[in-house]
Amino acid sequence: MALTGLEIYKLLPKTNCKECGQPTCLAFAMQLAAGKTSLEKCPHVSEQAKEALGAASAPPIALVKIGSGERVLAIGNETVLFRHDKRFEHPAGIAITVADNLPPEELASRVEAINRLCFDRVGQMHCVDLVFVENRSGEPATFAAAVKAVKEKTNLGIILGSENPDAVAAALGEVAAQRPLVYAATAANYEKMAALAKQHGVPLAVRGENLSDLADLVNKVVAMGAKELVLDTGAREVNQVLADQTQLRRQALKRFRPFGYPSIVFAIDPDPVRRVLEAAVPLAKYAGIIVLDTVDPAEILPLITLRLNIYTDPQKPIAVEPKIYEIGAVTPQSPVFVTTNFSLTYFCVAGDVEASRVPGYILTVDTDGTSVLTAWAAGKFTPEKIAAALNESGIADRVGHRKVIIPGGVAVLSGKLQELSGWEVLVGPRESAGIPAFLKQFWA
Amino acid sequence: TAETSLRPLFGRRLVTLAPPTLSDNTDDYGRLTWTLQQHGERAPFWAGYALLRSLPRVLREANWQVAVELAAVEGATEIQGVIPASGDLKGPFGLAVDIGTTTVAAELVDLATGNVVATAGTYNRQAAFGDDVISRIIYATETAGGQAALREAVTETVNGLVGELLRLRGLNPEDVRAVVCAGNTTMVHLFLGIDPTYIRLEPYIPAVNMPPPVRAAELGLAAHPEAWVYCLPGVASYVGGDITAGIKVSGIAAAEPLSLFLDIGTNGEMVLGNQEWLMACACSAGPAFEGSGITCGMRAVSGAIEAVRVLPGGFEVIYRTVGGEKPLGICGSGLIDLLASLHQAGVIDRGGRFVPDQESPRVREGSEGLEFVLAWENETGTGREIFVTQADIQNLMRAKAAVFAGIRTLLANVGLPLEAVEKVFIAGGFGRFLNIRDAIAIGMLPDLPLERYTYIGNSSLKGARLALLSQAVWEEMKAIARRVTYVELSVGNRFMEEFMSALFLPHTDLSLFPSLGKERD
Repeated sequence: MALTGLEIYKLLPKTNCKECGQPTCLAFAMQLAAGKTSLEKCPHVSEQAKEALGAASAPPIALVKIGSGERVLAIGNETVLFRHDKRFEHPAGIAITVADNLPPEELASRVEAINRLCFDRVGQMHCVDLVFVENRSGEPATFAAAVKAVKEKTNLGIILGSENPDAVAAALGEVAAQRPLVYAATAANYEKMAALAKQHGVPLAVRGENLSDLADLVNKVVAMGAKELVLDTGAREVNQVLADQTQLRRQALKRFRPFGYPSIVFAIDPDPVRRVLEAAVPLAKYAGIIVLDTVDPAEILPLITLRLNIYTDPQKPIAVEPKIYEIGAVTPQSPVFVTTNFSLTYFCVAGDVEASRVPGYILTVDTDGTSVLTAWAAGKFTPEKIAAALNESGIADRVGHRKVIIPGGVAVLSGKLQELSGWEVLVGPRESAGIPAFLKQFWA
Repeated sequence: TAETSLRPLFGRRLVTLAPPTLSDNTDDYGRLTWTLQQHGERAPFWAGYALLRSLPRVLREANWQVAVELAAVEGATEIQGVIPASGDLKGPFGLAVDIGTTTVAAELVDLATGNVVATAGTYNRQAAFGDDVISRIIYATETAGGQAALREAVTETVNGLVGELLRLRGLNPEDVRAVVCAGNTTMVHLFLGIDPTYIRLEPYIPAVNMPPPVRAAELGLAAHPEAWVYCLPGVASYVGGDITAGIKVSGIAAAEPLSLFLDIGTNGEMVLGNQEWLMACACSAGPAFEGSGITCGMRAVSGAIEAVRVLPGGFEVIYRTVGGEKPLGICGSGLIDLLASLHQAGVIDRGGRFVPDQESPRVREGSEGLEFVLAWENETGTGREIFVTQADIQNLMRAKAAVFAGIRTLLANVGLPLEAVEKVFIAGGFGRFLNIRDAIAIGMLPDLPLERYTYIGNSSLKGARLALLSQAVWEEMKAIARRVTYVELSVGNRFMEEFMSALFLPHTDLSLFPSLGKERD
């Protein structure tokens, strides 16, 4: 298991020299334990400590990079079974298939369609990552030509989908510099495939018939000098995929070396709904690459969204979305409460507004998930920010009046807020428990 | 041992210089510093212009037998005065000052003997500009002249105390030759007139954690104008020199057992560690346990209810007040008792909410929901009832949850369980009757054997005095402050999760409080 901060600290030089960018050796040890810094930052660590820490802090799952340039996909380096234990590090890659025997125009238009699988999620573009070129023709020359055509149409990473070493060799002649993933080494071809991967310095997928077969094959491939691997357990039914992916991750975290690599799975169900679900399971459960045979944006969008959510760092304040919430059957005459987006704060206010039986709006201001007084103390709940929220949230269009109720704890903000926002500011009770009584008295 | 280790930041050293001869033609100043060095005083030395001008005459008039006044400043020794050894020498005197957010305490100390000759305390006049450090930072930074007003307020407070102490002993300000102040980081900034703006803004950076000494004259302090004013070294924005003092006084930095130091006040600073490592955080418990922010809350002074029992059903209440006076309000230790007792009596549930439909006449509807009457109007010193509201109880729940969550978060950072804590030192203004058993019962303190707990009172003032009387302690405190790792609780959500889990009596996870279960059985 990973070392605790204290265990790491005992191995550090304890100089508190700050050269690692941390104020003390203990702070550095805690950052190391959290995987937020690396041991190289410490210039004074002894060789002995390096060895002890290196072995303990080396990631149980190797980092594998596919592709080149800006669109390189990095997967692996994972350290946990559940995201809340720390976080999932590298979002799974989504690959889309292209058959090598398509007519050139169809091939081109399919790759273009893949290039367009980009979506705006919370202000950022999120796209599919890889093109899986499938050697359906069985012909090395056709395969190499198709791979070349794909390379010219996209800057996404490429997976060379062929078990024929000759076809892979021919394709590598076209795209080796782009660091494609070779798929796949099997019991029948692994010697040639491993040699090719080693020769061109590209990552190699290894496919076994089952887990134990895969482990044997990985050992053989590693013995031949291939280092960057991606694992395929051979499972194609979603229940078996789930079982295998879980075992791969679990054993890897127990330092079973043959499984210390990211994995690849296929979502191949002909039914689109089932296909998306088939892809969603391994997305949540440890897969490094998920291959789909579809260019329908309606199928890809939910997967991109799910991936973004699952790979979000959970070490963030517990917050609700900063927006307008409606409690009860609101009307343009309903009161408007303003509070922070700390979830505990919001749910207290929401509960007490509900208890008052007066429908109302709650406008939560983004304070990085901190409570009213904490946000006030840290300058995150300011008249400027509240005024901006009042003006930009659209609350003005929903109510006929211009009165806003602020928490009693920050009564001091009322004057400036009134001036900045043009809204009449009513100072509510200090505790949300007082909202029902407050409304009875001041909101006829 | 106090005698042998006495080596104050300011002292007089009696020395006899070898008179110059034709074969020993060292200059007067060189002769003086050489002699001081022979007596073990610390080089380098430096002296002011005025002293050098009068030195030749003073040395000869005193027949080379002089008392040299020495101040330790940042690793060097300043020669502040040279006077004939034969004169009538009283003192010199020094001051130890604890600049608390709410109260300021000072001790007048005879630097020759190390004895405290007078003690005084009062309220910090900065309270006029805000009850807590945050309001004061905001006042200082957002009001024209705010920073100056706050500096004047605290200077007047300290000067008032000094005047009182000097009057008691018939001394003059000039007799005070060194001042050591302990305070939280914000207090030190405001006292020295240093811009506190960025203390409260992310990423929470103070101007200085270890301020160099400043002349009393520059601060307008009632002391010898050349006296140095030393502020104890702090760690971070919300862990200041008062906590460094607490670490020193509790001895946790020099001992083997894993220890926890808790300052149960508004800022809720705590330190975990031992001789190998130290880690600190501030859990912002709020002023509830200092009696502030609670409807009938007050400080632990005469008339404060400091211990309470609510009998089952909530019909009868037994309490004890400080000084046995008629009750005026309730202080921190009383509030801890009350919370534990209301729960045991079945008046409030584990979430701290009043259990509805109670028959007790003490439970009644108030303006902010239900409230509980502790003392009827005919029993109190004010002629008004003393009661706690639902909002007060929620306030206390949050305060106790913050303390416990802080402890759990510190431990989690080093991967240790609660049981690993071998000693707990508690500082804070609770008076004599902090009931550890009840503090555990409400889930504020970890469920450890009672013998592991020690209450150490005002460790801040004591630490200031120790530093004043020992250059070694002063240096040690700087080394301690440098060693402490500050944990920012607003980073990550572990503290928030711990906080929410602790918002119950005693906690959502009852297995953390095994001894309470036993009591119920």
